[in-house]
Amino acid sequence: MTTLARRSVLAIAAAALVAGPALAGCSTTNTNDGSSDGSGKAGTKTISFLTFETPNLTAAYWDAAIKRVTDRYPDIKVNKLVAPSADGRTNYAKQLRQSGQFPDVMVGVSPAGFAEAGDLYPWSPEELKDFVFPTANPIRGKYYQLPANTQTIPPVYYNKTMFAEAGITTTPTTWDEMLGACARLKTAGHTPFVVGGGKDGFASSMILSGIVSIDVYGRTPDWMTQRRAGKVKFSDPDFTAALAKFADLADKGYIAKSDVSRDYAGTEQAFLDGKGAMYPMGNWFAASADAKHRQDIGVFNLPSPDGRPIVPAYTGGGIVVSSKAANLDAAKRFALAFQLDKTQLDDSVKADGLIPAVKGYTPPADTGPVFNAGYALYQQAVSNSTVVHAFRWETADDGLLPGMTDKVDAAAQDLITGRKSPAQAAKYLDDEWAKAAS
Amino acid sequence: MTPHTQTRRGSPAARVPQGPTTSTRPRERTAAPRRRIAALRSGLAHFAVFGAPGILIYAWLVLVPIALSVHYSLTNANPFNPPRRWVGLHNYRMLLHDEQFHTALRVTVVLTLIVVVVPNVAGLLIALLLDKRGRFYNAMRSVFFTPMILSSVVVSVIWTRLLDVDGPLNRALRELGVRHPPAWLSDPDLALYSVASVISWQMLGFCVVVYLAGLQSVPGELHEAAAIDGAGPVRRFRAVTWPLLAPAVTINTVVLLISAFKTYDHIKVITNGGPGAGTTATLAFDVLATGFDSNHIGYASAMAVVMLAIACLATAIALRILRAREIDL
Repeated sequence: MTTLARRSVLAIAAAALVAGPALAGCSTTNTNDGSSDGSGKAGTKTISFLTFETPNLTAAYWDAAIKRVTDRYPDIKVNKLVAPSADGRTNYAKQLRQSGQFPDVMVGVSPAGFAEAGDLYPWSPEELKDFVFPTANPIRGKYYQLPANTQTIPPVYYNKTMFAEAGITTTPTTWDEMLGACARLKTAGHTPFVVGGGKDGFASSMILSGIVSIDVYGRTPDWMTQRRAGKVKFSDPDFTAALAKFADLADKGYIAKSDVSRDYAGTEQAFLDGKGAMYPMGNWFAASADAKHRQDIGVFNLPSPDGRPIVPAYTGGGIVVSSKAANLDAAKRFALAFQLDKTQLDDSVKADGLIPAVKGYTPPADTGPVFNAGYALYQQAVSNSTVVHAFRWETADDGLLPGMTDKVDAAAQDLITGRKSPAQAAKYLDDEWAKAAS
Repeated sequence: MTPHTQTRRGSPAARVPQGPTTSTRPRERTAAPRRRIAALRSGLAHFAVFGAPGILIYAWLVLVPIALSVHYSLTNANPFNPPRRWVGLHNYRMLLHDEQFHTALRVTVVLTLIVVVVPNVAGLLIALLLDKRGRFYNAMRSVFFTPMILSSVVVSVIWTRLLDVDGPLNRALRELGVRHPPAWLSDPDLALYSVASVISWQMLGFCVVVYLAGLQSVPGELHEAAAIDGAGPVRRFRAVTWPLLAPAVTINTVVLLISAFKTYDHIKVITNGGPGAGTTATLAFDVLATGFDSNHIGYASAMAVVMLAIACLATAIALRILRAREIDL
């Protein structure tokens, strides 16, 4: 072999080592060996359960919840899996699927994509009879995710002390009042909003999610369905105006550009530490505020242009079950028992501020003041019929295409840092949508 | 012992030229192929025992996935949207117009340049300082090498905390009077350089160790001869040390080139490709995001194949340039 040929071989081998893992990562396997009886006990059904951890939903929370079900069904043994990050749990489920390790049961994982590929078990009306919204989140007319709870996304949590220091006596109800409050807070030396980002991109797009839900979905509730049908685009005037409204907050200095690298846990801590006056976040934050007995934290709806109390919410977020689970019956029993158990529902309220969407359920009497205030806002919107879908959080036929949530988060960060104009961000989303749809 | 037996056994008598006697020529003609066959069998046996396992593992874990990926790159493979269809070069044509891919390419090139140059230069300087005997220098070598043995995820988590907008580094800067310290990870103009610095910091120890090994292999008598000829320290470094360090430069450059080109874990943990759309997203990050987040396995495979081609080319060029200046003593 000549020197040149030897070098070429060496170069190719070295390059193969570089790209090999990436290339190998793209190879697909679609095997699913499911779970098997590995306990050694006769009749024991083993299932795998993918969870995720947050400051609210700790390992102890999941372990206790699993134990309650396995105490009720001693024949079920659960192998708990934990996603590497809360925001990446759906992507982690995809990776497990690609490597032939698709879990039998998953919580909080978006069914989009999995359902269309036949990976998930479609629940029957009989199995969904105990849920308040049994027809939430249909995918091609079937229901794959237990509609276990409702989350309002995002109410605005605020620091009462900072509001008082800025001379704000009532919480804003219109967008103009909101801008006025931001100006007062800034003058008083407080950063109006706390946002986050980093590996938890959703923390960057919370305000944008609220603005789009209220301004766009408030006028056109089926906007996302129309987007899927190609009838509307992100670059249409109404959506671009929502992007501009969000960018305006950053332009005016009401959002600190440096916040976009802070992860979710750090963002929550930053608000609790008084780094900013308002924290637009899902209603799960209420549990954290109540757990820390923070009497100085209040909550109000993200204002609409005209003061109508529109509340973006998402009902779903429950468990999905693999249609190929080796012990499908055990997986289904586990899922329903997990989602309908009264003690578990109470725990989910206290630990994560969830609003269980189970018939006949009422939250426990000892919930904290921040949760109670947020719950009252939601109940008021339900009675006024002013609940809209929460943009970016939908998971069904009326949700974003797979992979698009990360693009929304990236667009939000670009608007905060000023790297993109609203028109450029809208074009970026349309371009990425076209790629996602191809 | 008959001549026939001697030939089969390949005895010395059979190998020694016997002269042009007509009676031995036919025997030689039959013996030579047999010897070649025996040698071939022996070679095959050695290969089967020592070579084949490694080659089979390499083929199974690297070559087969590459071949599969080339195949997928010519399809619209999407595990969530079957069936898979042949699309020819469509994915490659799309890459030509994909702004996100071009951004990832630019990010990867910038990151690679920084990660190849900074640890190389700093590693050489530190190695020159540590090329001495003594416990202190031994300890310092360990200190510089420690980051190399840490998991890149651990390193990334630590540096994410250090570089946080309210982290220890910025707190220290504020204490020193800097009112608005840099947003190391959230400023789109700074984030890539911050991540590149973290990777460079981790790779520094490797370069130091390789350069130290190179420095210690330089014969002392060459330095003495140069000194006798009147060469000062700088001249001795340029004329003696630097040329003899060429193999170390080659190793460091190629390893850093490969490491930088496949950067994924640092990006995933520290910035998740942001802030914003792709400001720190490398090709490897984009390949995995496209394949696993957006489910476009076919398109991601095309990106990976292009990445492979670029890596091959860059490595071949680097090796050609660096090997040309290597010298043997």
